Amino acid sequence: MPETINEPVSVTLWSNHKTRKVIPYSLYWHGRQYHITTIGLHHTVWEGRHLFHIFSVSDGSTFFKLVMDSESLRWTLLEVDTIH
Amino acid sequence: MDFNPIVPTTMHVDINSCFATVEQQANPLLRGKPVAVAAYVKDYGCILAASREAKKLGVKTGMQVREGRSLAPHLVVLPPDPPKYRVVNRKLLRLLQSYTAYISVESIDEMVMNLANTPALDRQDMFGIARDIKTRIKHEIGDWITVSCGIATNRYLAKVASGLQKPDGLVAITRENILETFGTMKLTDFCGIKEGNGRRLMEAGIMTPLAFYRASVEDLKRAFHSVVGHHWWLRLHGYEDGSMYKEFSKDTKEDQKSFGQSYVLGTPYLPTDSRLWQILTQLTMKMGRRMRADGFAAYGVGISLMFIDHSHWHTQEKKTFPMFSDFDFYMNMRRMLMHAPERTVKMIAVYCYALHPDTDRQASLFPEENRKRDITCAIDAIQNRFGDFVIYPARMARMEQKVLDRISFGGVQGLPDVPFIEQVKHETAS
Repeated sequence: MPETINEPVSVTLWSNHKTRKVIPYSLYWHGRQYHITTIGLHHTVWEGRHLFHIFSVSDGSTFFKLVMDSESLRWTLLEVDTIH
Repeated sequence: MDFNPIVPTTMHVDINSCFATVEQQANPLLRGKPVAVAAYVKDYGCILAASREAKKLGVKTGMQVREGRSLAPHLVVLPPDPPKYRVVNRKLLRLLQSYTAYISVESIDEMVMNLANTPALDRQDMFGIARDIKTRIKHEIGDWITVSCGIATNRYLAKVASGLQKPDGLVAITRENILETFGTMKLTDFCGIKEGNGRRLMEAGIMTPLAFYRASVEDLKRAFHSVVGHHWWLRLHGYEDGSMYKEFSKDTKEDQKSFGQSYVLGTPYLPTDSRLWQILTQLTMKMGRRMRADGFAAYGVGISLMFIDHSHWHTQEKKTFPMFSDFDFYMNMRRMLMHAPERTVKMIAVYCYALHPDTDRQASLFPEENRKRDITCAIDAIQNRFGDFVIYPARMARMEQKVLDRISFGGVQGLPDVPFIEQVKHETAS
């Protein structure tokens, strides 16, 4: 079961205007940098007219569920899970 | 009349183990492991979907979590995350719409498409299209997501075909292979043939799918005691019977007969308990918002209860004026609830029916009615801007049980389109 975190987090976002690809590349949390190797799923959630982009990603051994608030452009780490 | 001689152009597309597969797609660490999505992750929660790995260990939809864990001790049990499943549903719909405009969304994980007279079918055959769809799903939706495709001359047999090979199946039922296909099946493999219909067929001496297929229309009418027998004959012979499915690509709003919400109580309450009224408030607000968003008012309201002894109680009322505000729905339903037996409630369902387009309404002569309408519209506007339940009646304060977002079985009305999907593509970061 993933562990609920709900903490602000720093994320490096990689964007390519030619391929129109936008992906979180790495995240910095609790003094450690994690390089994201797999984007499992990207989905969006509306709260009223407020859009949140949710990225389910992994660095190969840890799963992270990240949310980007499209209004404030701030990132929050929602969940973490490690290999079972 | 024999099996339908036309070329098969109907395809049923079914996402394998949908909720569990989408969770494995989102979390790569879960891939290859037994995963179940359950309504509640506690022992008595009901399993809604099991991954293919969990299915191999005997875990099935409908089991309790503790049963699943007894079969698969390392079973990972997750709560449902409806926004994920809705996004995958919408992405699949978009993908299929690039082949044909004639698509019917049967549920969150099932779609049927008719490819007759489409350019796609000029370019390649049905099998080629199905393989193309499977490949594109891997690239455009998720590499872990697989679908089973069934091809036939009608929707029923296409659905049967999609269930014959799982996961990642591709099966056609045609006039050439119908006998061979039915020869390998059991009667209960047919969707719609379970206890009741199975017993009727047995009583008529029809014990196998082949006997079912070879029975005459008259035999089947006798077996089912109605015209239903004729419908079954048409279905099994590859014809559309017109009784089972909605039309392709029809605007579902036109078909909308009612709006409803239901909730299974984690802690059961009596009908007179104010905590049940809080849940009733939340259900009526959700129902009312959906109804108003689709532009309706309702003349009728109904409420249904299931008690912990599995007995049921149900009542409904039709008014002479259409109801629009949550307050009207709540007050009517709470009054109706007062007539319910004083037994502990396990499940509560509310609905409104006899819908009327709100655009055709006549303005009320009573100012309080107009004020009520204005307040309702203002509350809806606030929730549209800031999110659901940012504003709610005081009676909902300190609610102990919140009604969670759920995917209903069989219906996907009101799904929002996927926003900004073109701007964000996924790939494995290097």
